[in-house]
Amino acid sequence: MTPAVSRFVLWLDDPGAVGNRVLGGKFGSLAEMTAARFEVPPGFGITTTAYRHFLESAGLAERARAVRAEAGGADLADVQRISAEFAAAIDDADLPADLEREIRDAYAELERRAGQEDLPVAVRSSGESEDLAGASFAGQYDTFLWIRGAEDLLRHVRRCWAGMFGAAVLTYRPDADAGVLTADLGICVGVQQMVQARAAGVMFTLDPVTGDRSKVVIEGCWGLGEGVVSGGITPSRYVVDKVTFEVIRREVARQESKFGFDPAAAAVGLVPVETDRQESPCLDDDQIRALAELAKRIEQHRGGPQDVEWAVGERGDVRVLQVRPETVWSRRRAEQLVGERKSAVNHVLARFAGVGVARGSRGTGA
Amino acid sequence: MTVTDPNPSTRPAQAVPGERFASPFAVETPPGAEGWESMYPYYALLSQERAEFEDGKFWFFDGMHNPEPLYPFDTIMTENWWVAASQMSTRVWPVPPAGGIDHRIINGYLYISPNAVTDPDEIARRAEEFSLRAGHYYENWDEIYEQWVAKATGCIERLKAIHFAPLPEQEPLESVLRHKGTYSTYDLLTKYGELTANLFEMGSYHFEMLNLGYGAYLTFQEFCQAAFPGITDQTLAAMVSGIDIMLFRPDDEVRGLAKLAVELELADLVLDGENPDDVLAAIAAHPNGPQWIEAFEGAKDPWFWFSTGAGYTHSDRAWIDDLRLPFTALRGYVKSLLGGADIRRPLDEILAERTRITAEYRGYLPTEADQEVFDGLVELARKVFPFVENHNFYVEHWHHSLFWSKVRELGDVFVAHDFLDDREDIFYLHRNEIYSALYDLNIGWATGTEARGVTYWRPEIARRKRIRDVLKAHPPQPALGVPPEFITEPLTVMLWGITQESVQEWLGAKGEEGGELRGVAASAGKATGRARVIVDPEDLHLVQDGEILVCRITAPSWAPVFSRLSAAVSDVGGIMAHTAIVCREYGLPAVVGTGFATTTIRTGQLIEVDGNTGVVRVVEEAQA
Repeated sequence: MTPAVSRFVLWLDDPGAVGNRVLGGKFGSLAEMTAARFEVPPGFGITTTAYRHFLESAGLAERARAVRAEAGGADLADVQRISAEFAAAIDDADLPADLEREIRDAYAELERRAGQEDLPVAVRSSGESEDLAGASFAGQYDTFLWIRGAEDLLRHVRRCWAGMFGAAVLTYRPDADAGVLTADLGICVGVQQMVQARAAGVMFTLDPVTGDRSKVVIEGCWGLGEGVVSGGITPSRYVVDKVTFEVIRREVARQESKFGFDPAAAAVGLVPVETDRQESPCLDDDQIRALAELAKRIEQHRGGPQDVEWAVGERGDVRVLQVRPETVWSRRRAEQLVGERKSAVNHVLARFAGVGVARGSRGTGA
Repeated sequence: MTVTDPNPSTRPAQAVPGERFASPFAVETPPGAEGWESMYPYYALLSQERAEFEDGKFWFFDGMHNPEPLYPFDTIMTENWWVAASQMSTRVWPVPPAGGIDHRIINGYLYISPNAVTDPDEIARRAEEFSLRAGHYYENWDEIYEQWVAKATGCIERLKAIHFAPLPEQEPLESVLRHKGTYSTYDLLTKYGELTANLFEMGSYHFEMLNLGYGAYLTFQEFCQAAFPGITDQTLAAMVSGIDIMLFRPDDEVRGLAKLAVELELADLVLDGENPDDVLAAIAAHPNGPQWIEAFEGAKDPWFWFSTGAGYTHSDRAWIDDLRLPFTALRGYVKSLLGGADIRRPLDEILAERTRITAEYRGYLPTEADQEVFDGLVELARKVFPFVENHNFYVEHWHHSLFWSKVRELGDVFVAHDFLDDREDIFYLHRNEIYSALYDLNIGWATGTEARGVTYWRPEIARRKRIRDVLKAHPPQPALGVPPEFITEPLTVMLWGITQESVQEWLGAKGEEGGELRGVAASAGKATGRARVIVDPEDLHLVQDGEILVCRITAPSWAPVFSRLSAAVSDVGGIMAHTAIVCREYGLPAVVGTGFATTTIRTGQLIEVDGNTGVVRVVEEAQA
C-alpha cells in the first residue's frame, strides 16, 4: 500500500478505505457501508498505524505488550491498577507533531464539509479485534459523544487509546480464547459528525429471541441511542415481517428522559423528553418501514444476519451508525423445525389425526 | 361461593364470566315472539328429553351463514349441511378427532356445536381408515376436482330445467291424446321433489372435498406460524391463493363491460341513468348498443348469479335479481376509466408477488428438511385451493341463487292459486309444509272445492312475520353452554373464526360498552370513520361515503357498497370465511369475528378499525 495522502487518517469515503484493516472492525464496516451508498454520517478514522506510531514515538510499545501479558494472570484489583497506571502514561505522553497536525487538518476538513465550526462529533474506538470471529468486544470499547473543537478531540483520541488497556478489555474472555487477550491488537479512533437524533436505537435482521430470520426487530427510544445500547432506557420494540414489512408487534414504552446534549453541562446526558412525546411512539409507520427495509438491504449486502445501530434525524432522515454481524444465532447450529420428514399428504393426514408438522406442535384434539 | 339449587332442572345455568356461557335453556323468548318454535321442525329445537346433553355442550351462533332469524323455508340450507358436512367427518372419511356438527334453533337463530372424538384408541382406528380414504382424494385431487366441476355444473343444469307454473284450467288436450296418464298435479309434486333433492345433491358435493381442502391449508398455515411466529393470515393466503378465482369473475366482468361501454361511446348513457332498466333501454336504442347488450347478456349468465350475501338465505339477493348492484359498480368503473385510470386487476404483479414472498420465506427456514416440507405443503395447499375458493361460486352463489329464484317461481304458483299474496311469503313455510300445501292445492284443483290453504296460510304467515320481526330485534348471544377445553377442530377455526382466544374474549367481555373490541385481523390497514351498523341487507343503501360498515358478517359481494366504505367490521367470520378473501381484494381494512360489534357499536359513532391488529375502538360518541 502506498502511503498516499496520509498514514494516520483515512476518510470513510476514501476509495482505499474499503477492506482496509487500519480502520479496525467498526469503522471498516462503516467504510464498506459508505462505499455501498448507505447513509452513514461522514467521518474519518485515525488509523491503527497512527496508534502504533504514537506508542512507538512515546516509547510505550514495549510496555503495552508487558501490560497485556501481566493482566492475563492477575486478579481484578491488580488489573485495575495496571490499567490506571498505563492510562496515565498515555495521557502524559507527547503526541508526535506529524500525527497531531493530520488529526487537526482532518477535523478542520470535516468542519468545512459540514459548514459548521466546532462541529460536534462522535469519537469511537474501532478495534482490530472486532474482526476476530466470535469476539465482538461489544460494549468494551469507548464512545464519546458531542465532542467539539480540535483540543477536545485530541484529548478523547488519547482516551480511546487508553481504553485499549481498560480493565474490561484486558479481562474480556470470549470463548476462553486466551490468544485474543495477549495479541498485539491495534485500534483505530473513528471521528464522525454527530447525528442530531430525534430517535435512535438498534435493530436485528432476525428475531434475537427465537432466531426467526423472517423478522426485523427494532428497538428504539427518543434521543440518542446510548440509552438503548447501554440498556439504561427501556426501548420501544417493533417486530416487522422482513418479507411483507407488516408491523407484527409493537410494544411502545413510555419515556420521560432521553440521552441528548445538555447545554447546561455542555455534554451528553439525560434530559427530559418533550411532554407531548413521552406517551408517543418514537417511530412512525413510515420510519419503521424505512428502517426495516434498510436492515434487509444491509443483510443482503453483507450476506448474513446483522445488528445495526441507527438514528433518525429531526427531519425523518435515517442514518446507519454501526453494523455488526449477528454473533449468537449465526454460530448456533440451525435446529430443524419439522419433527419428521415425510410427504405433504402424509403431514396433512397426520394433522387430521392430531399431529402437527412442527416439532412439538399440537394438532386437533390432542 | 356455590349455592346449590334445590331444583336444577327448572333453573337453567346462567353465564359465569370467565367460566361458562348461559345454558341454552336460560335463553328467554322475547315478549311477542311466543310460539316461535312452531316455525321450525321438532328435531331442530331444544327439548327436555335431550336437555342433559344439550345443556352440557358448547353452542355458538352461526351468524356467518345466517345472521338473521331463520325463515322457515331457509332451514333447508342449514338442515342440508347439518347432514352433509357432518357425514363427511363421521361416516365418509372419517376425520380422526372430529365428529359431526349439531344444530339447534334458539329464538330463530341457528346455534351449532362441533363434536369431538377424544378416545385415543378410537382416534387411532379412525386415522387408519382416514388415511386410506382421504389419501386417495389428495393423491388424485386434480382429477377428482375436474369430476366435481362436471357434477356441480350438471346439478345446476338440471336445476335450471325445473320450471313451476300454475295448474291449468283444463289439462291440455295433448295430455289426453298422448295418453299421458299422469297430469299436472303429479308434475307439480314431482318437480317440487326434484327441487329439494337437487338442493341436497349440491349440498352433498359442497362438502365432498371441502374439509380436506381446509385441512391441507391449515397444515401449511400451522407450519408457517411455527416457523415464522406472527406471520399474518393475509400473507399466508397470498402465498397460496390463485388469481383466477371465480369469485373475482363477476367484478372482472363488470370491469370489462365498463371498458366496452367507453369504447362504444356509451359511457354517458351508463352514467346518466339511476335505474338499470332505463339504462339498458337507452343503450339498446343506441346504434352501438346491441354489441354491448350482447356482451352484457353473456356476462350475466352465470356471473351475475352472484349473491349479495353468503348465499344461505333467500334474502341475500343475487346481482341478477337486483341489477342496481352491478350497475353501481359499472358506473364507478366507467368514471375511473374516463378519469384515465387503469381498472384491470394487475394479475402479473399479483403472481410475481406471490412468487417473491414464497421464495423469501423459504429462504428464511433453518434447514433443508424444513424447506423440503415447506415446498410440499405450499404445493399441496395450492393444489387444493382452487376448489376451496371456487366451490363458493358454484355452490353458494350460482346454485343457491338459482335455487332461490326457482322457489320464488313456486311462490308465484301459490299466489296464482290464492294461497299467498306475495311470492316472497313462501319462505315463511318450512319445506315439509310446502309439500302439504302443494297437496292441499292439488286437492282443491282436482275437486273444484276451495283448498283449505286459501284461508289457512295468510293469517299463519302474518303471525310468523310478527314473530320473526320480534326475534330480529333481539340479537342473539354469540355463545351458549360450556366451552370446551381446546378448540382445534379445523372447520370451527378456519370457517367460523372461533378460536380459544375468541371464546375467552367472549367469556370475559361483558358490558364493555364503548370500549375496545378484538377480532381477527382479516385485511390490513387502519381507518377511522363513522360506524354504519347494518343488520338487514335491505338497509345497505343507507351507507354513506367514508363510513365503516359494521355487520354480523362481512359480505364481499356487496361490492358496490364496499367501494364507498373506509373499513368493515363483522361479528362473525374467520380469515378463510368465503368473504374475507374478497374483502382483501378490495383493499379495505377489516376486522372479523369480533362477536359483539353489531350489539355494542352504534351507527354514527366514530370508530377506529385496525386491520393489522384486529382491534376496533370507539373514538367518539355519535353526534346528536
